[in-house]
Amino acid sequence: MTDELLMEAVKNGDLQQVSALFERYNKRIFNFLARMTMDRTLAEDLTQNVFLRIIKYRNSYKEGARFQSWIYQVARNVFSDHYQVHKNKFSDFVDIEKVSDHLQDSEENETIHEQEKLLQKSMSLLSEEQRELLILTRFQHMKYEEVAVIMDTTVANIKVKVHRAILKLREHYFELEKI
Amino acid sequence: MNKETLETLLIDYIDGKLTHEEKLQVEQELVNNKDAYILYEQLKQVMHAMDRSSKLEPSASLQSSFNTLLQEEIKAVKKPKVIFLQPSFYRVAAAVTLLILGAGLGYWISKYQRQQQEIALIQKQLEENKLMMMSMLDNEGSASQRVLGATVALKMERPDDEIVMALGKAMNEDPNTNVRLAALDALSKFNKERHVRGILIASLATQKDPLVQIALIRILVEMKVQGTVKELERISNDEEVLKEVKDEAHAGLLKLS
Repeated sequence: MTDELLMEAVKNGDLQQVSALFERYNKRIFNFLARMTMDRTLAEDLTQNVFLRIIKYRNSYKEGARFQSWIYQVARNVFSDHYQVHKNKFSDFVDIEKVSDHLQDSEENETIHEQEKLLQKSMSLLSEEQRELLILTRFQHMKYEEVAVIMDTTVANIKVKVHRAILKLREHYFELEKI
Repeated sequence: MNKETLETLLIDYIDGKLTHEEKLQVEQELVNNKDAYILYEQLKQVMHAMDRSSKLEPSASLQSSFNTLLQEEIKAVKKPKVIFLQPSFYRVAAAVTLLILGAGLGYWISKYQRQQQEIALIQKQLEENKLMMMSMLDNEGSASQRVLGATVALKMERPDDEIVMALGKAMNEDPNTNVRLAALDALSKFNKERHVRGILIASLATQKDPLVQIALIRILVEMKVQGTVKELERISNDEEVLKEVKDEAHAGLLKLS
């Protein structure tokens, strides 16, 4: 059954179908939020909130809309609401030396490649928007067209912004590498 | 080739998105321009690092806490039916009993006395329902009880002032978003009452919760409440208000204009 049919069933009151959507999307949404927050514990809480909102606001899902775009829009709202409530932007408190500790679990952290640690530190220095664009297009391999729908803008705009974000990431990456 | 064009072409080159001619142009530049070659190597390294980055695995507790949450939500949807069916069954049973008693005693009891008894019974039931709802709305320890309290109010035909005040207080001051939304739902049912409309419009001016703001705007726009346009104009120009709320206010203005 397609994501859209499952969500329509949820909207019609069959809440058990959220389980199937959770199976399909929980890892992707968790990865998106973990790389946005750089904190896997917080990302798990926020992932839970995404699925809670899908249940609570199931009636706001428009029939025929692509479910993947909708769930990522919900995840973006959950992320921005969290930081709005806490009046604390990510960049105000992040300690880039500890990014990998917060992002990987202890087992992963032992085996993680130095190059990836450097990448995570460089990502943490980007603006929230640039980080989000790279997570969606490069880490999650989404097409520009899909990201344009999620962010409610044009494909050309997304392409320009992604290119700028890659160039900025390169700057941070090779500056940090020198240290 | 200027720097910006080169950077864009290099990224597309690494992604394999160039035409044959553009590809040749970039390769020519890489041969002749040492800086361009360094930039290419660095971009390639960073882009490949992102593409090959490992996937993060959530802990097992995410799945188990989701299962618990889902079961609670399923229960919460079913619960009102269980709660509200029983009292209505008793009410029907009481009404039937009264009818039979009334018919049997009709010869003996005057019409006036019968009316008095029925009025007293209805008043008692209303008072009991009201007390139950008010105590639920007042339950500081449980948000779900407060939501239930607001839902009980939704079942009432016509609330008195005390209930309206309690719902207004819950909508504006309750720490839990779900309670605030449930109180708003209950109040909006009584939108024909002038003072209820006043409470809704006043709440729009002070409400800070974006979810409640959006729900309020939708209800007020649908009801075409007097004074809404002025508030919506203020919200759509307020710098501190969340973008989604401003968009909703703007959409509301378009509908009302």
